[in-house]
Formats: sequence, structure tokens, C-alpha cells
Amino acid sequence: MYNFEFHRPTTVDEALRHLKADEAKLLAGGQTLLPTMKQRLAAPKHVVDLGGVTGLSTIDHKGGSLVMGKAGGTVLRGGTLTIGALTTHAQVANSNEVKESLPALASLAGGIGDPAVRNRGTIGGSIANNDPAADYPAACLALGATVVTNKREIAADDFFTGLFETALEPDELILRVVFTAPGRAGYAKFRNPASRYAIVGVFVAERQGEVRVAVTGAGQSGVFRVPAMEAALAKKFDASAVDGIRVDASDLVSDIHAQADYRAHLIGVMAKRAVQMAA
Amino acid sequence: MALEMSGEYVLPRDRKAVYVALNDAEMLRKCIPGCEELTKASDNEFAAVVKMTIGPVSARFKGKVRLVDLDPPNGYRIEGEGEGGVAGFAQGGAKVELTEVPEGTRLTYNAEANVGGKIAQLGQRLLAGSAKKIADKFFANFTAELS
Repeated sequence: MYNFEFHRPTTVDEALRHLKADEAKLLAGGQTLLPTMKQRLAAPKHVVDLGGVTGLSTIDHKGGSLVMGKAGGTVLRGGTLTIGALTTHAQVANSNEVKESLPALASLAGGIGDPAVRNRGTIGGSIANNDPAADYPAACLALGATVVTNKREIAADDFFTGLFETALEPDELILRVVFTAPGRAGYAKFRNPASRYAIVGVFVAERQGEVRVAVTGAGQSGVFRVPAMEAALAKKFDASAVDGIRVDASDLVSDIHAQADYRAHLIGVMAKRAVQMAA
Repeated sequence: MALEMSGEYVLPRDRKAVYVALNDAEMLRKCIPGCEELTKASDNEFAAVVKMTIGPVSARFKGKVRLVDLDPPNGYRIEGEGEGGVAGFAQGGAKVELTEVPEGTRLTYNAEANVGGKIAQLGQRLLAGSAKKIADKFFANFTAELS
């Protein structure tokens, strides 16, 4: 093991102070950083563990309206969902508030990795890393989420800027992500059976006639939207609306798991499934 | 693992000026993404330290950059190789061609890269996108410096 300084701040300000050090890395759930360090592919001098910072793993739901639930009884749908950066995937997947107000997000979180990953990995860590095959970036982009940092609020459209790149500055830390529940939304993923990363994942969200379609797992520059599908679904929110719309394969990833043209095909299939699932 | 990339840029300068800039160590240092040091070892050879960061992966490559097949002002071939310690190695080259156009000079490049070791094994799904991004960034930086 090589040496590094381990810091365990208890406040955001203290974390930001440590982050100013040369080659410092924030540690949230550690589901990417720790394996990378174990492989010696990253060797930060300072690791700033956010696990001791309180108040960043809460789920708050405001507004919404009572509707009939699938299992009978009423559920509180819609409204605004604020998820703290250190909230684990398991917390989101199991939260009644998320399941009722934005079920597609709960089901997405429940499909990330395996239980070990879901119990450690966090929403803030996932979007800060912006892995091109991660699930949360698709949800944030399709739902038009707002990323709140210690400095500002960033719209999802401006947040994901490329392969593993975000609008975050070196001294910026995500505090929470704010989702406004859409009319309906669905997420369909063709997953790698081993890692459960998305080979292709498509998140579809409809809000007052406006539709957003975000694709993860497939783009060479990470998550992206598909305007042609959005326009077609805005006219008619039905799986048949995306028939014949094909995403150009030249900007898609080819790797040992799938060739670019296969991924292009899968985007159509997953988009349809997401529309069918949308609730 | 082998990667191939190509691209084209139009620069608002004449061919001779572009060629001179392409041979200037300080210019190359500013334009190579993540380049921390570039020192002249001989007329056409430089020693380089380049820090590569792709998401969580961060490795410092130490190596050489060489300019070969010099054909002023039509172009040259730039080659390089580096060792990134436990991360692995990277080696590659780009044929750079300059042609005159009304707006100035058109620069076209055809590059190939080989990456091996741990970074290639583990980062396979990231390399194609990253290599293209690095090449594009170099030429975009170069275009910006000349404009």
C-alpha cells in the first residue's frame, strides 16, 4: 500500500479546506475511487472521506398530489424531490417518498450494481464521476434535475460535459440533487450481466407534453439526449412513435461488450421499453 | 490495444508559420493535453512528462516525443512513447499534413496509438473516446494558440 493522508471532516467547509490540498480526492461511496486506487491507477495524496459529514444523506419531498396507487390506497405523486449527495442507491431505491413520487428513479437506483454497490455508492458520487455507463446521469438529464453545489445551482443540461467530465470545478462539492417529478417517466436498461453497468440505458420523461429522452452507456462523450425521439414522443407518447428513429452509430462506443451499431439498435429498443414502463 | 484517429483543422496562418509552430517546443508543451514538462533532447527529440487523467484514473507518463519525416512546410510525423509506471505504457504517432487553402492552412492528421498494460486492460471501454478527445484537444489548443 502506498501512503496517503486520510481526512474525515464532519462539515462541508472542513471538507472543502482539505480539498484545496495538492492532489486531493473526495471519497463518497468509494465504488469507483477505491478500486481505481487498489489497481494503482490513481494515487491521490489526500483522500477526503465525506462519510463523516452530516446532513448530506437525506431525502425530502415537497408538494405533489394524492392519486390512487397501483396497490390500492392513495400515494403522493409529483412534487419536488431533494436527494442529498451522500444518499446511497439503496436508500433511494427503498424510500417510500421516492417510490411514490418518482417511481422510475427508485427503480433505476434499485438496478445499479449489486447490493454491496447499492449500500455504499451514492448519487453525488455517481454524477460527479459521470461514468459514461452510469445510470444516474440519464435520470438527471431526462428529468432536468438541478445539481446544487457549495457554490451554485447547475442544470443537468450544463452539468454533464463529456466523458467523465462535469461542470464541477476542482474546489466544488455536490450538496444535493433536486428533481421535479414529471408527469410520467420510465427507465429501461440493457445491462452488462457482470457489472450491471448500462450497455445501453434510456430514461424517458414526459412533463406537460414536453418529452426528454436521455441515453447512457452508449455515447463516446457520456450521457446524451435524442431530440428526434423527444419530438416524436411529444406528438404521441407511445412506443410506436420511436419506430424508425435511429441514432447515428458513429458517435457511439464500440467495445468488447457491444459494437456501436448494436448499441444504436438497442437505444431504439430500450426507448420503447422505457415508454411502455413510464408511470 | 490499437486506436486510430483522424481530424482536420483550418488555421488562419500561412503554411510556413504553422510548420514553425509545430516544431516549437514551447508551443508543443502548451498544446499537449496534460503536458507538465517538455525539454529539447536534440534537434528533433524532446523529453516529456504528461499527466493523463480520465475520470478516476490518473497516471503520469514519462517519455519521448520525436519529429520524423520532416518535410517543411508540407508536414511531418510526430511520434511519442511513454511509461506510466504501474499504469502501463502508451505509444503513438500522427502524420500531420499542411495544405494551403484560401483561409490559411488546412491541417490534417492521421494518428494511431497503442496502449498496453493495466490501463489498457481496465480502461478498455474508455480508451477510444479518450484518445480521440486527447488528439482533438491538442489540435484545438494548437488552433487557438495560432489564432
